[in-house]
Amino acid sequence: MTNATPALQLRALRKHFGRPAVDGLDLTVQRGELYALLGPNGAGKTTTLRMVTGLLAPDEGQVEVLGVDLARDPAAAKRHMAYLPDDPMLYGKLKPTEYLEFVAGLWGLRPEEAEPRGRRLLDWLDLSKHAHELTEGFSRGMKQKLALAGALIHEPQLLILDEPLTGLDAAAARQVKDLLLSHVAGGGTVILTTHILEVAERLAQRIGIIRQGRLIAEGTLAELRERTLGGSLEDVFLQLTEQA
Amino acid sequence: MKSAPGSALWLLGHELRLAWYGSSLGGGKRRPGVVSMLVWVLAWVAMHGIAFALLHILRRDGVDDTLAGMLVGGVLLVSATFMLSNALKACVLALFERGDLDLLLSSPLPSRSIFSVRLLGVAASSAALFLFVFTPFAHVALFMGRPGWLAIYPAVAALALVVACAAMLLTLLLVRLLGARRTRVLAQVLAAVAGALLFLLSQVGNLVSHDGRGAQAQHAAQALLHNGLFAPASPLWLPGRAALGEAVPLLGLVALALAAYLLTVGRTHRFFVHGLQQAAGMDRVARKPAGGVRFRFRSSLFDTIVAKEWRLIARDPHLISQVLLQLVYLAPLLILILRGGEVPEPAIGAGLSLLCSSLTGGLAWIVISAEDAPDLLRSSPAAARTIRLAKLAAATMPALLIVALPLLWLIVRAPLAGLLVAFTVTGAVLSSGLIVLWVGRPAARSNFKARGKENFQCTVMELLTTLSWGALAWALVSLIAGAGDWALAMAAAALAVALGALLLAWLLRRRAV
Repeated sequence: MTNATPALQLRALRKHFGRPAVDGLDLTVQRGELYALLGPNGAGKTTTLRMVTGLLAPDEGQVEVLGVDLARDPAAAKRHMAYLPDDPMLYGKLKPTEYLEFVAGLWGLRPEEAEPRGRRLLDWLDLSKHAHELTEGFSRGMKQKLALAGALIHEPQLLILDEPLTGLDAAAARQVKDLLLSHVAGGGTVILTTHILEVAERLAQRIGIIRQGRLIAEGTLAELRERTLGGSLEDVFLQLTEQA
Repeated sequence: MKSAPGSALWLLGHELRLAWYGSSLGGGKRRPGVVSMLVWVLAWVAMHGIAFALLHILRRDGVDDTLAGMLVGGVLLVSATFMLSNALKACVLALFERGDLDLLLSSPLPSRSIFSVRLLGVAASSAALFLFVFTPFAHVALFMGRPGWLAIYPAVAALALVVACAAMLLTLLLVRLLGARRTRVLAQVLAAVAGALLFLLSQVGNLVSHDGRGAQAQHAAQALLHNGLFAPASPLWLPGRAALGEAVPLLGLVALALAAYLLTVGRTHRFFVHGLQQAAGMDRVARKPAGGVRFRFRSSLFDTIVAKEWRLIARDPHLISQVLLQLVYLAPLLILILRGGEVPEPAIGAGLSLLCSSLTGGLAWIVISAEDAPDLLRSSPAAARTIRLAKLAAATMPALLIVALPLLWLIVRAPLAGLLVAFTVTGAVLSSGLIVLWVGRPAARSNFKARGKENFQCTVMELLTTLSWGALAWALVSLIAGAGDWALAMAAAALAVALGALLLAWLLRRRAV
């Protein structure tokens, strides 16, 4: 694996649920990139991310994570990846410390490397003062931040987030955005889906627009503007999805 | 006639509608359908036949009113323990689990009305099953020329109201003493134990008859029946006499119920609101750590998963109740084993196997089928085999730990019988766990009570395997005690069914994505 190896490469990825949900998707995300995958409801964004993270088996096509074929060696591919879905994957009856202990165990972290990371993440995300409460009483934002801490504890090279800012208040959303930018600044890769186009406009280096399971446009915001009549990302998005 | 919106009557209608939708008639999940209602109506009609047969026997044997009052009184007292169990569960539901109280308390309705109606709802839900069972006796007795038995209606309703008040007061008292979180757990445990009280009482006779001092104990029981608490004139039988239509006991019981209701509502409705506020905030109660954030990372994935599963089990009030209930049922067996003297080893072997299998089935469902974050596990690089093994261990170890001591004791007392029981207990526990692992379906943890209905295939296999291992234990221990060929045939058949169920579960196992 060299530095030129993409963080994620999808080749002719297909998935059918009666109708095609993802229809021959080709996508490459380079290392150190923050890539936003946009699309209308039902476009196939979440299905794509679930195939990338090994939660769904593709009907056809190939997923390569940091040069590792997901189908051939899922454990090696998953080791450097983290997934944060729209609905945080938490246990209501666990405390944040216990949740992080569990996630660290799943990713095989040694206690001596997990402990400082867990402490730092809880501090960073303002969760230390709630470390001894059960997560079932947490607000949506606190749950999302804890799930993010879980996703980051093994310092993944590829971070995949499905609608990470849904339901967060302004302060929590700012914290999450800062964290994503800092992850990319540190050499990590982030792929996210969002319905808040302003977030993609501000954060993403490249944007992919997906519709009916196909990538209909991809590029930087400036490149996408050139292909359309320009305007905000919202204008560009609406023009592209209506054209297709 | 429609009641005015916002009135107590209107609120009672809302309460009864919710109780109806949530009743077991509809499987607790939806409004009861026509078919299920028809089944219940037919069962109720059939109950009249049973009532007729029983009352006919009582008349044939010349049972007088005094003895009938004692019999009915005994039945009502036993029913009261079940009512208490139901009422405690209903109070926990009212305070902690149903989401509509925030809406009601934020409305202009007085909290007193809300509390009084909720209490009536608890009483109604506690009384419903017993009215279903007992009212056929009232109807048949009327037909047989005993109209006084119609008093079963007010007597059961009054008893349910008294029990509902007691349950609500107990729950609120526990909230004040222990806080909302612990009350929720304790009330559910109490509800489970109250429900098992009848079983424990039924075992007293067995324990006494096996005791060397059985004659003395029976003599004491006779004395109690004639002079003490159980004498015919004892106030203990007043509810029974009330149910048979004796005016003074009936009026007394109804007056007691009304007084309990008015006093409970009058004195404690503010405390009810306070209890609710505590319940609303209970999830956020933080115990500040003395030494800041503390982690306990483990180096083994297996240990990490087992620790996580046990934490989740220990923090689940439904499961704690389930485990404690199993321990209650285990208690008479333990007493028999530990007391010495003549021990019914086949029964103990079967009992231990059945209990362990049933407990493991429940735990395996929670640990394996009701995994809260399956996507987290599947998106991790952890080996699926290790995860499955750790979960199986987490589900099976509690049952094995619980029976370890009585098993060891049995092995010391009767080594061969003890070892055979250890074999069947281990087989039963492993089979239950493996069946859930292989044919269990993902489910929400909150569906714990309805798990049997959700996956019929798994339920049948669990039941088959539980009964088979129990039967195998009975047959094997009987065999070494000198039983004949029947025990050998029974052992062979039970083992074949147990292994067959396991093989079938393996063939039907679900494949992970």
